[in-house]
Amino acid sequence: MRFTRRWLVAIRVALVVAGLGVAAFLYAFPLYWLVATSLKGKAELYQSITLFPRHPTLESYSSVLFERGFWVLLKNSVIVCAATVLVTLAVGLVITYPITRLTVPPRLRVGVLNWALSLRFLPPVAVVVPYFAIVRTLQIYNQPIALIGIYSLFNLPFAIWMLKGFLTEIPIELEEAALVDGANRWTSFRRVLLPLAAPGLMAAATIVFTFAWSEFLFALILTATPNAQTFPVGVQGLVTQFEIIWNDMAASGVIAMSVPLVLMVVARKYMVAGLTFGVIREK
Amino acid sequence: MSRLVAELPAPTGTEPVRAGRRRRSRQERLAYTILLPALGTVFVIVTIPFVLAIWQSITSDDGTLIGFRNYTRALGNPLFYDALRATGLYALIVLPTEIALGLGFALLVHRAVKRPGLRATLYVLAVLPLVVPPVAVGVVARLIYAPGYGVLNYVLQSVGIAHSEIQWLSEPLLAMGSVASVDIWQWTPFVYLVLFAGLQTVPRESIEAAQVDGATWWTQFIYIELYYLRPLFLLILFFRMADVLRVFDHVFILTGGGPGTATQLLSLYIYRIEFRFFDGGQAAALAVMVLVSISVLYSLVTRALPLERA
Repeated sequence: MRFTRRWLVAIRVALVVAGLGVAAFLYAFPLYWLVATSLKGKAELYQSITLFPRHPTLESYSSVLFERGFWVLLKNSVIVCAATVLVTLAVGLVITYPITRLTVPPRLRVGVLNWALSLRFLPPVAVVVPYFAIVRTLQIYNQPIALIGIYSLFNLPFAIWMLKGFLTEIPIELEEAALVDGANRWTSFRRVLLPLAAPGLMAAATIVFTFAWSEFLFALILTATPNAQTFPVGVQGLVTQFEIIWNDMAASGVIAMSVPLVLMVVARKYMVAGLTFGVIREK
Repeated sequence: MSRLVAELPAPTGTEPVRAGRRRRSRQERLAYTILLPALGTVFVIVTIPFVLAIWQSITSDDGTLIGFRNYTRALGNPLFYDALRATGLYALIVLPTEIALGLGFALLVHRAVKRPGLRATLYVLAVLPLVVPPVAVGVVARLIYAPGYGVLNYVLQSVGIAHSEIQWLSEPLLAMGSVASVDIWQWTPFVYLVLFAGLQTVPRESIEAAQVDGATWWTQFIYIELYYLRPLFLLILFFRMADVLRVFDHVFILTGGGPGTATQLLSLYIYRIEFRFFDGGQAAALAVMVLVSISVLYSLVTRALPLERA
């Protein structure tokens, strides 16, 4: 009896370990393969495939960033994403502050939140046609400002819902105390609320940054030259060429994903809350 | 140790009354002065494209009204139905697989992994794929499936499963499978995270009571845990369905919609009509139809979503 039970436990442990192991492998291998390919030299590409790079080299990274000039696209991406974060958070705060910190009719609050949520379900491709026309009419085609505007708009729903979550968690009494002490609304917002909301703002900033960083469709349509092209557009250019230079392509992929991955280590706690509009929270 | 939980909305009408009448009206005025300009601006910016899309769909390039001709052309295009079919097939592969795998792993980890450190590690690992740019995932998939240099064929051949190169990207069904596998790779962790968090909300007492009554893990799942997960399934289904309609990047990189129209999902189709065939009118008609169907679907389902809207 005891013997069989021990066996059953052992079998169950083995199954669990095997299940997690297979999953881990299926997850990790594609990423490993991307990095491994990016570390191969040009010469190695024309030999048969090897699972490990024989002579690891950073040649492909310098080729992508400098010979192909992708560092300009990287710079564009950083500028566009940083500006998007600033605009999104500023507008997000202006919209969420009144509905969370001031007494407004509940219907207004619910209405704003519902409206923001509905924007989340808007497929970008459905508005690509009018946006393209608008951008050309305003003569901002192939300029970063076009992307900044559109990314801010598409990230606003996330920002509103995340900021609403963070702001409601800060006790309103703290601000009221400042008001009683003679501070005006603006001072109490700046000196009391903002410092307390800073961690939440940082989290929202990180998430908006990664979303903007990944965006591809609008960047593809609204830019044409390195004047405004973002990094994902550059990556795509390497993929659809006639002769694909595999190690360069892999290196560009590694660069594209490294930025959000590093940022995510900072904001991982809030990522799922942001994606599910606060249904899943970390306690 | 922090842990993820699902936060479902409390019953409405529990909010305490906070301030007296006079103060509220002053606060309200301030709220409107801050809110309305911002909200109004955003609302106009959001709404203009819709109006413009409708306008574009009922006019020709020189601005004369042509009625519903663009719509009849859009609906008469056989490629449109290919795109619908491809999108449906994609959703039918991707959604059940992701939910089944995500649920399986959520249950596995919930039951078998008790060490908080390991759970936290799994959390971080599951979050990572969610932030990888789809373009980069497309690149990875290209390295795996591409003819000539794809590592999958290399592995299959050296293990002896395949004897010649499998054309992952030029057989319609295989191409659809390859494209779908990318989605599954990237989004199963999301399903896992949501359902795992949902499992943490199941009251321990009901599980213990069931176990005392001799419930097996299966009956425990069917009769107790599934009940608590129901709203989250709805959430996952709706969010993921909205995502399927926006899938573009990794398919564009991996197959570009091919072979033929086998993986030309709705988003790629509209892109192609507008930017390859330069048929703005037809693309606008398609866009309006997508927007209307999304809005209808949204207004039907949104009330059921378990979101805290207060």
